[in-house]
Amino acid sequence: MTRLRTRRQVLLAPLTTAVVGCTRRRTEVAFAMWSGDEARNRHFRGPVAETLRSRYGLELRILGYGDIAEFISKLLSEKSAGSTAGSADVVWINGENFRLAKQGGVLHGPFADSLPGAALYPAEARRRDFGTPINGLEAPWQKAQFVLGYDTARVQEPPRSLDALAAWARSHPGRFTYIAPPDFTGSAFIRHALLRFDGATGSRYPEASAKALAFLRDLRPFLWRKGETYPPSVREQDRLFANQEIDFAMSYGPAFASERMARGEFPATTRTFVFDEGTLSNYNYLAIPFNAPNLRGALTFIEHLQSFDALLDLSKALKSPFPLDPDKLTARQKTSVEALPRGPATLPDSILAAHALPEPDAEVLVRFEKDWQEQVARG
Amino acid sequence: MKRPADLIALIVLLGAAAIGPLVLLAVWSVSNGWLWPDITPRGYSLRAWEYVFSSASTALPALGTSTGLALTVATASVLLALPAAKTLARHPRFTGRNAIFALLLLPVAAPPLASTLGLHRILLAAGLTDTLAGVALAHLVPALPYATLLLVGSFRRFDPALEALARTLGASPLRVWWSVILPGIAPGLATAFLLAFLVSWGQYLITLVIGGGRVVTLPLELVAFQRGGDDGITAALSLIFVAPCLLAAFVGTRWLRPLR
Repeated sequence: MTRLRTRRQVLLAPLTTAVVGCTRRRTEVAFAMWSGDEARNRHFRGPVAETLRSRYGLELRILGYGDIAEFISKLLSEKSAGSTAGSADVVWINGENFRLAKQGGVLHGPFADSLPGAALYPAEARRRDFGTPINGLEAPWQKAQFVLGYDTARVQEPPRSLDALAAWARSHPGRFTYIAPPDFTGSAFIRHALLRFDGATGSRYPEASAKALAFLRDLRPFLWRKGETYPPSVREQDRLFANQEIDFAMSYGPAFASERMARGEFPATTRTFVFDEGTLSNYNYLAIPFNAPNLRGALTFIEHLQSFDALLDLSKALKSPFPLDPDKLTARQKTSVEALPRGPATLPDSILAAHALPEPDAEVLVRFEKDWQEQVARG
Repeated sequence: MKRPADLIALIVLLGAAAIGPLVLLAVWSVSNGWLWPDITPRGYSLRAWEYVFSSASTALPALGTSTGLALTVATASVLLALPAAKTLARHPRFTGRNAIFALLLLPVAAPPLASTLGLHRILLAAGLTDTLAGVALAHLVPALPYATLLLVGSFRRFDPALEALARTLGASPLRVWWSVILPGIAPGLATAFLLAFLVSWGQYLITLVIGGGRVVTLPLELVAFQRGGDDGITAALSLIFVAPCLLAAFVGTRWLRPLR
């Protein structure tokens, strides 16, 4: 086997070098990330790549994925084939993908707790990711939170809790709907219902899920098209909202409404809100694949991304919430965080943070999606 | 068609059906706000195109990679399919013929993820993952069956007597291929090439898994933005994605006409 591989590699060496640029392997750091966002791509291929080059002599290479689950499948397959030569040094990951990667043993580490930047994150960000113990296998990076969007020209005062939203839907039949799970955002909405009935962990699941499913079933006839169908994607839900067929949009990105307004996709009177009881929030993370070709580069890159300045630039570029614990920042740092530009429809970080609920266990999430499919969508 | 008016109406209708979606894509790609109940967009902007052609986007290198890859895969598919198709067409009843057909179709019929991960295993052992060569080899798996099946059809319609005739007149085997067989099956050959090209052009999962994100083709760019819900950039990328297909179809029909 080894001999075969070396011979092939000798034969193909000129080709491989030309194609992959193997000679630069040592100074290259390859980052596997979702690449479907203009602002993010611009930020990484521009300022981030330049800083890495000038400050650390590292060439950043973006490995764009439409869905990181596809990268995890590849890693699992490489692991079972015993391959040690990987393609990525760092992967942007969280939730179910992290659980699968951890279970499959395809992550390098523990490494995250010894990084200097880790201490500035809230403790819970380092402990569990969708209920899965992190054990230092991924380093916290950014923060996201579920928000709802509404048009002030149509709805004066939005319902401020899940129950109030259900009551609103009953008095405005056909004007509300949510995205069908297993879409990420739709799944977050039904998870909120599960949390409402206290079902964050496996032991409470049977009772809580029964109540939550009944709640969603009762809501169904009052939904858009009487709940006979649900929008399959965020895109579709957004379109229904923009076309005034429904009155609420939803997203796991607090800046989504501002972004869409800037692109002219949402009316300029759009605003966002969270429930008084809070909405789901999570951190996303950076991990190192077991077969990362440039381990040292990976650690340097992650350390850089976790630094205060890099996070500030990122929040500025993406208009995303700032992830570090405000209590652990210096007065000057706090001032610069508070001065971050926010879109007209985006809630301030402090309001979001005061209304953040932790995600239930990743395993509960998968079960609930399935139960919803069987008992609400088809029931 | 009975009357020229009917014919013209039909052509206009078919043309609209073919061009309509493309026009819509073009408008989407430059619109800035197109909300119900507006009939035309509220504003126009070149934001999507500016991004696609900027250094932050990999769309242009991806276009180059996709084109090179699809041309290579189509050429290799046709070259590999020619001898196989000739044998399968000329010997309709040898043992194992059906088994060979089944094997040929298996990669197309099997669930894509399963066959892709299997391929990944093999190419991993050969040290060819994350390379353009590996991706090209992997694209052959779905492209080859189509090329072969199409050429089997062409060979069935091609009279073997012509070949024998050329041989009795003293033509070398190479000459027979070049001057008799290839011109005789040219339309099928072109169609097989075109189909293999398009199969490679449209691959997403294989490219992603075998190429490891290092080999970036247009579908990779397109799917990421489609999932991100950015209508403008998705529309712009879609237009770039269909452009070579239209060109290929146009050139194909042009080139095939005198041979029919």
